Amino acid sequence: MDPELIKDCVHCGFCLPTCPTYVLWGEEMDSPRGRIHLMQQHVEGTPITPEMAGHFDACLGCMACVTACPSGVQYDRLIEETRAEVERVHVRTPHERAIRGIVFTLFPYPRRLRLLKLPMRLAGRLRPFLARVNPSLGAMAELAPPPARRVRLPARVHARGPWRATVGLLTGCVQGEFFPGVNAATARVLAMEGCDVVIPAHQGCCGALSLHSGYDARKFAKRTIATFERAGVDTIVVNAAGCGSTMKDYAEILADEPEWAARAAALKVRDLAEYLVELGPVAERHPLDVTIAYHDACHLAHAQNVRAQPRELLNGIPGLKLREIAESSICCGSAGTYNLFQPEAARELGDRKAARVRATGADLLVSANPGCTMQITASMRRGGEEPIPVAHTAQVLDASLRGTAVPG
Amino acid sequence: MTELLAGRLREVLPDEAVITDPVRLRTYECDGLTYHRATPGVVVLPETAEQVAAVVRLCQEFRVPFVARGSGTGLSGGALPRSDGVLIVTSRMRRILSVDLAARRAVVEPGVTNLAITEAVRDAGYYYAPDPSSQQICSIGGNIAENSGGAHCLKYGFTVNHVLALELVTPDGDIVELSAMDAGYDLLGAFIGSEGTLGIATKITVRLSRAPAAVTTMLAAFTTIEGGGRAVSAIIGAGIVPAAIEMMDALAIEAAEAAVRCEYPAGAGAVLVVELDGPEAEVEAQFALVDRICREAGAFEIRVAASAEERQAIWKGRKSAFAAVGRISPAYIVQDGVVPRTALPDVLAGIDRLQEEFGIRVANVFHAGDGNLHPLVLFDDAVEGEGERAELVSGRILDLCIEHGGSITGEHGVGVDKARYMPRMFTDEDLDTMQLVRCAFDPRYLSNPGKVFPTPRLCGEVPQVRKGPHPHEAELF
Amino acid sequence: MPQEALAKTGVTVRVADAGDTVAGVQAKWVALPESTEEVAALLRVAAEHDLAVTPVGGGTKLDWGPPPERCDLLVDLCCLNEVLEYAPGDLVVRVQTGITLDALNEHLAAENQELALESPVPGTTVGGLLATALSGPRRFRYGTPRDLVIGVTVVLADGTTARSGGKVVKNVAGYDLGKLFAGSYGTLGVITEATFRLHPLPPARLWVTATYPELGDAPGVDLGTLAVQLAASQAEPAAVELDWSADSPGYTVSALLEGTAAPTKAETIRQVMTNPEISWSESPDGAARAEVSESPPDWWGRLPEGAILLEIRVPPSSAGAVVRELATSHLTGHTLRGSAASGVFLLALPAGTPKAGTPEAETPATAATVIERLRERIEALDGRLLAVSGPVGAADRWGTIGALDLMRRVKARFDPDRRMSPGRFVGGI
Repeated sequence: MDPELIKDCVHCGFCLPTCPTYVLWGEEMDSPRGRIHLMQQHVEGTPITPEMAGHFDACLGCMACVTACPSGVQYDRLIEETRAEVERVHVRTPHERAIRGIVFTLFPYPRRLRLLKLPMRLAGRLRPFLARVNPSLGAMAELAPPPARRVRLPARVHARGPWRATVGLLTGCVQGEFFPGVNAATARVLAMEGCDVVIPAHQGCCGALSLHSGYDARKFAKRTIATFERAGVDTIVVNAAGCGSTMKDYAEILADEPEWAARAAALKVRDLAEYLVELGPVAERHPLDVTIAYHDACHLAHAQNVRAQPRELLNGIPGLKLREIAESSICCGSAGTYNLFQPEAARELGDRKAARVRATGADLLVSANPGCTMQITASMRRGGEEPIPVAHTAQVLDASLRGTAVPG
Repeated sequence: MTELLAGRLREVLPDEAVITDPVRLRTYECDGLTYHRATPGVVVLPETAEQVAAVVRLCQEFRVPFVARGSGTGLSGGALPRSDGVLIVTSRMRRILSVDLAARRAVVEPGVTNLAITEAVRDAGYYYAPDPSSQQICSIGGNIAENSGGAHCLKYGFTVNHVLALELVTPDGDIVELSAMDAGYDLLGAFIGSEGTLGIATKITVRLSRAPAAVTTMLAAFTTIEGGGRAVSAIIGAGIVPAAIEMMDALAIEAAEAAVRCEYPAGAGAVLVVELDGPEAEVEAQFALVDRICREAGAFEIRVAASAEERQAIWKGRKSAFAAVGRISPAYIVQDGVVPRTALPDVLAGIDRLQEEFGIRVANVFHAGDGNLHPLVLFDDAVEGEGERAELVSGRILDLCIEHGGSITGEHGVGVDKARYMPRMFTDEDLDTMQLVRCAFDPRYLSNPGKVFPTPRLCGEVPQVRKGPHPHEAELF
Repeated sequence: MPQEALAKTGVTVRVADAGDTVAGVQAKWVALPESTEEVAALLRVAAEHDLAVTPVGGGTKLDWGPPPERCDLLVDLCCLNEVLEYAPGDLVVRVQTGITLDALNEHLAAENQELALESPVPGTTVGGLLATALSGPRRFRYGTPRDLVIGVTVVLADGTTARSGGKVVKNVAGYDLGKLFAGSYGTLGVITEATFRLHPLPPARLWVTATYPELGDAPGVDLGTLAVQLAASQAEPAAVELDWSADSPGYTVSALLEGTAAPTKAETIRQVMTNPEISWSESPDGAARAEVSESPPDWWGRLPEGAILLEIRVPPSSAGAVVRELATSHLTGHTLRGSAASGVFLLALPAGTPKAGTPEAETPATAATVIERLRERIEALDGRLLAVSGPVGAADRWGTIGALDLMRRVKARFDPDRRMSPGRFVGGI
């Protein structure tokens, strides 16, 4: 924890109302300002007590506070450093260790995740039992979306119409396994907008899950960099918000290894919406008669400052009506692995978000992050109501460009 | 004793609402003013007025002081805890209890944020008028304590002009209702702005205002601060009361630019933000006049917000200015003083002289319409002695304000930070008389002691409250 | 003895004559101080000799409220009438409180400014206005004296002189004694100087006035809705007044529009007032009429006439309900006047009220029963009814007060010996 970064905080409190845990519990120690204060205490010599670790663990890492901070406190860096410190010095209970073990040996590995899908569906039936044994296992079972047909993507998709650019596509772990339709739609949209899309096989995890939880992400980062270098692209388009925000930080993550940091800096990472707006639309948009509520994924809105672009793309579709969700800047509770490690808080936030999504009266929820999609859908289902369908921005664009119906 | 008290507190509050863990307690050691710190003895997070009252009664029983805290954003250390006392945090009392648009009022709990009230009624065309810069987080309970204003109080007044009633827990632990409707002394008016020394507000009825039909926000850039000052005087002189007139000097602009990229005109020595609101025809007429006045006063660029987004963009630089100064200076003191508007040029010149004399930079942000200055005194705490010099400059600025017939605080409150300046503004008799109110409410001096007044007035015995005729009558028999 | 001591202060003191009474209680001496210091000297003598003191401004409302338990010395502030400091550029004025509101506003008009307060009683001094917290129609836009006073100098019962606030509009240093003393009826001390925030004089003023007939027992207008709509209008009226007398042809509503855009705003308000969805008329086309004029209706801003004066305060959405309650209260000879937008009205009743307030079958009610019955209805509307002046008999003058105990404690601290207008205020304070 860098004391200089801590010093940037002037204790103004502007972060408080944006912090999901402060919104839930109204306690200073569960606000960004309070957590920074705890970091300061630790830097000054207070050991990490279980109470202190608990408040750090409760942070969703949604980075809404970073957006809100007028003093430019780099809370994202602070909390990542803090999580690493917690993992280094803090001894967790056996129970916490077990859950972390499961998540970190499964999720960053698509093949293992694929194997898990079937048991998770089975687990759906066991959900009440699992929830009693351990809320985290219950949460995991609850989140799993229905099985989707695997989509095999070619190594290269050629531009439709005149060529405008060549880009790489990150397929992602959770996105690829649980929402394969999103990657297919992303590739099609890019191609229809004139891009050659390179999709390297055997992409691993980008490192996001580990980084956001205090584990070493460098191994994953290097492998991802190497994969895209081999594929010969310098622009990587990412459709999962969490992955995009991590990849944009590669140079910082690898700062200790200048050669790798330079290689990281040479790669341009763009969120899909960000990239499409930069590129400018050429393909014809067919009308879609649908009312959409757009959900700001934290890792897109707060971590990457991408808010206007997806709205611009959606508003560019004739006939489409866009509705804003109240409290749009408050996290839905997914936050990477948060809903697995802090299931109770995640559940409260999920319910809050689900209620506000429903209040928009939209036919379709659009979310650019697989974690959010799973979280909000699960919350709606838990509420006993039929969840409103959820789609990725890419899928809505895909439907408009191809003149088909919106999925969902 | 703390353990004993904590045990008793846990009898009236849920376990997790009583904080005694030292690491947790320390996160409450200061409010928005970090210069003063004290770890509270115990922190409680009540959810109802009854719980607050029970806590206060226990404090009376144990004779320990209590301090109320809302969102902890105050800038005078008004919520500085007592290490020998209880910090009562209202952050969990944040329900909007009712909204009655026909009667133009809402009833809220003290932890509700200022902005949350406006957000709850905005779609219906109403808003809550006082708008301190920290409105997205500062609590209405804190606003009551400080009698908060905001950029728009020039036209619309302060918290005290917009609160119709409140329920408070008295320092005795009684729950009492103060209402503008009731006959009798205006205790509501006396309570608002008393900085937590007369009890804790637990339910507040606020007045809602109808949103104006038209709002025009303009930004005028001047090469010098004098130009801006001339424009302000001329606008007021023309009989216009804008909703807000705010000014920032070059250094403050630089900070805001660094923080939020507000993109104010390059090369501006001062910018003026003028907001006019009201019926459309009126705003149009006033705008034409203000535009002309600004140009005549030397404005080299005038921008007019054409949309809500553009208005926000103009305000963004102003509203984030305090915290933004953190980008251009390792440390700084936010000062809050008031001078009669006509004394502004003199006082600004005086601040300039102080900057030169002490080698300390001062960024100026102010509510120019009502003469409320917010000089930001910049220093580097790593440089030996600079902090002390900054402190000195900051104090001298207050002296300037007092010399010019102004006040040591326009909206941040006296708190713990400025109690020592009170004797420069008031005589002992003034302060003693004010404290008669304190003695009536809190004779044992347990409600936020050490704030506002430099020395407590000894209240003596609680005087006999005589309801009947004077005892001289008795002498007749 | 006391008279000699009073004379020693150097202040003009005379023996009171028959006219020097406070709500019927004869005073012994009248002092005419010319400065705060002189007031302090007088009060120190009063303290030494245990004289009960009542401050007097224009003397226009001395018969309001309950009589004092005792009254030895009247401190008449008529000679304390200077404008001490006036900086037009600051929109602030500091005055001695014996100056009349009219004189002050005349002074300010030279700079195109005004103190945006009104008194329904001609001749009211600024101090009297503050001490009784009186207000007029424009309270809806500008507030009451407590909203515009930014600093006071007061002299306490023991002669202590204290100041609070200052001469800047924005100021939160210390407790606001100005608010505490506003409306305190002289029971805490003497307000000798006050500083006010001013407003620019509006360049134009227009009134829009409509009279709605009485249709059966009810007004030919949905008064509640009309008041709410006018108050919420973005044309921003400065005042919305209602006038209704038992012997007048109907209910008159008048709104004041101020500022350069007054004509446009008046037109908007006129449309609200004649909205056929909420108003009905006996005219051939059934539409209500509203007139725009450059002068107010003659009753504007004046006290309703009657021996007994009551004040009704209700939430601003309840104007219609107040009229409904009064219309079904078997009153005769009454006049209701006041701010429909703010929910503050004065109700004048004739003296004696032989049959008023009772169904005909019952025996005539006393003023006290009428007041208590009306109060029950008004408090049910979440409002308050105060008896301001007149022969109200044994009626409680004040109604429900949530914080009476705290008020007694404040009084006990400021005036422990009960010498400042004792008994003139709530709960016998």
